[in-house]
Amino acid sequence: MLKIKNLYKNFGSIKAVEGVSFEVKKGDIYGLLGPNGAGKSTTISIISTLLQPTSGEVLYEGSNIFLDSKPIRRDLGIVPQDIALYPTLTGYENLLFWGNVYGLKGSQLKKRISEISDIVGLNERIKDRVDKYSGGMKRRLNIGAALLHMPKLLIMDEPTVGIDPQSRNHILDTVLELNKQGITIIYTSHYMEEVEYLCNQICIMDEGKVIALGRKSELVELVKEKTQISIRFDKTDVCVLNSLKEIRGVFDANIVDEGITLFGDNGDTLLAEIIAKATEHGRRIESIDVKKPNLEAVFLHLTGKALRD
Amino acid sequence: MKIISIIIKDLKIILSDKKALAIMIVMPIVLTTILSMALKGSFISGEDNNIKTVNIAIVKLYDENMDSQMFKTALNNNIISQGMGDKTLKELIDSGNSINPEEMIFEDFLNSKEVSEIINYRLEKEEKAMELLNNGEVSAVLLFPDKFIYDMKINLLTPFRNNVEIKVITHPDRNIDGQIVKSVIEAYSNAMSSIIIGKNVIIESVMANNISYDSISNMEDTMEKMNKLIKDINVNIDNVVVEGKKNISSADYYAVAMMTMFILFAAGQGGRMLLEEKDNLTYQRMIVAGTSSLGILCGKLITIFLIAIFQIVTMIIFSHYALKVQWGNLNSVILISLSAAFSVAGLGTFIGAISYKAGNYKIANIFESAIIQCMALLGGSFFPIEVLPKIMQNLSFLSINGIALRSYLKVLIGSGTKDVINNIFILNIIGLLFSILAIIVLNRKEGYNAKYNKTTDIKA
Repeated sequence: MLKIKNLYKNFGSIKAVEGVSFEVKKGDIYGLLGPNGAGKSTTISIISTLLQPTSGEVLYEGSNIFLDSKPIRRDLGIVPQDIALYPTLTGYENLLFWGNVYGLKGSQLKKRISEISDIVGLNERIKDRVDKYSGGMKRRLNIGAALLHMPKLLIMDEPTVGIDPQSRNHILDTVLELNKQGITIIYTSHYMEEVEYLCNQICIMDEGKVIALGRKSELVELVKEKTQISIRFDKTDVCVLNSLKEIRGVFDANIVDEGITLFGDNGDTLLAEIIAKATEHGRRIESIDVKKPNLEAVFLHLTGKALRD
Repeated sequence: MKIISIIIKDLKIILSDKKALAIMIVMPIVLTTILSMALKGSFISGEDNNIKTVNIAIVKLYDENMDSQMFKTALNNNIISQGMGDKTLKELIDSGNSINPEEMIFEDFLNSKEVSEIINYRLEKEEKAMELLNNGEVSAVLLFPDKFIYDMKINLLTPFRNNVEIKVITHPDRNIDGQIVKSVIEAYSNAMSSIIIGKNVIIESVMANNISYDSISNMEDTMEKMNKLIKDINVNIDNVVVEGKKNISSADYYAVAMMTMFILFAAGQGGRMLLEEKDNLTYQRMIVAGTSSLGILCGKLITIFLIAIFQIVTMIIFSHYALKVQWGNLNSVILISLSAAFSVAGLGTFIGAISYKAGNYKIANIFESAIIQCMALLGGSFFPIEVLPKIMQNLSFLSINGIALRSYLKVLIGSGTKDVINNIFILNIIGLLFSILAIIVLNRKEGYNAKYNKTTDIKA
């Protein structure tokens, strides 16, 4: 459905995107995962035809979107990271306007507004001004505005930033429901759990580059069966870090958020060794968190830093 | 269809903004009402089609007897009497005695039927005259300078020419009355200058052809002819009131002045709309939805145009019913209104395009806080531009409100469309030029902008 080939985007001397390539197939929920500044939004802006790439190609249904942008614009729904709505208009007026912009009119538009209000759970508040909505309600309406013309491809750029857990769950459920209805979704987030929960294909980006892509299971394979152990000491220093690295079965260890995160073969056997090392250095362990391999671990493994850095 | 949706949406947004409505609709109504009441005395009543009489005080700073004596003494001076025979000198002295410049200005000019209908004068001492002016009992004070009689006799009877300056002091709140007095004195002064120049030409021609002074047989006859000319001075005050046309009242003036000034705020308001769309990411969303940047720009242009029309219609209706302003020929008013609104819309769109590219509201803020005020001053929205120096009066053609104001006033006093067609043309050209500039600015490729790095080179 959508092929991104060797995409570059420079802003003067700043390289925002460097050689990004991936493919989104029909029916995918494709996750773009990476920290802020990884190049996700720039990539999305290029796919949305808002930005021209410095070089590279984006093919939608086989044709270059920069030679003919009409097909992708017709089929694309975009949910921007920020709320792209008119705060002094009501939810209904906003949907009416965006419906008109997408070429809907009359009873067809009214019917669609009613359906969308249901989907995003705003039926009872749809006649209220948007500036009276909570953050979560605004986000849901922001999604609703992108669904009016029944897009085939929906791009959602960090749609859950800064909202309450209830609205977040509603949005995640909506994404799954829309995908069931046949909409292909590109979902960007720096929340690893959301991408893990929603996406069947994942592309991990950092500093403008793709550092890994594939199914979640394939990505976890990259860190083999390594277990991630995060330990918080009363005092963390390089001396303790080096000591932990010496433990047999530890592949890597880093200081992360004033604690130490290490990867090893077997969490159960490593714990005893870690406690012994801590005692040896006179350190008190405040907490230990053992995690089976996940995307966070993959990111940490590939970049040496936590996803939230 | 998309443009119509953009216009409807923008109008809803602006009409739901109480602060913007207060500035654009309520403020001009309030200010017009206050100013038209407060400055009623500065204007001739709109209901009175006849020119009212302007009261003035005249101060004589000269001594008639002393001046006449001084003239006689001067005639005996060798420089003046050189080349004259005794007979001519005697005739000149006799003429000097018979010619009375005071009588010429008071009896023959100010008391003439035509001038006395406009000006009612009283002779006062300087101090008293200024007091009357400050109290508003007279609209102007005329100061006839020291040696006025002597200088006038020299000017009228000899080849020499002395400078005579009649000073006109007007009351600041009665500028129209002041203009009338200045016009009348200017007419007198011009006529006198023509006579004196004519007389000098005769004398100089005679001397150049070596004809003796004595050959000018009868100087008294010449002076008689001059007196007749003075009586025939035609006082031209066309710039104040033209025959058969209505006078401008303070309500008329300020209804037009405030309206033409406040429609500029529609341009300021509209100038923010594009950048607000960009900040809200709705601009980008519209582009992705297949709307062209030109379509969005057209939507803004028409929105500003409609807001300005709404302001104009509101003001015309209010001033007509509440302040009894008669706007004149309806077709002309409609044409001027459409042209002024288009001009403002073009300007607003241009400001919008610049603000969009700059990525901040500085331009729109400067426009609202400084440029509108300058345009208002130059265009005559604060007070009639006639009270400004000539150079600033010429600058009024740089202001949209000034051009619109002149046009409306012309129609208001009874002129037809053909009298304002040039101004209508200029307003439309301004609107068109700004619109074209807006398109050029919006389509210019941008450089890197940290704030909008995601959306800098939107391709519509």
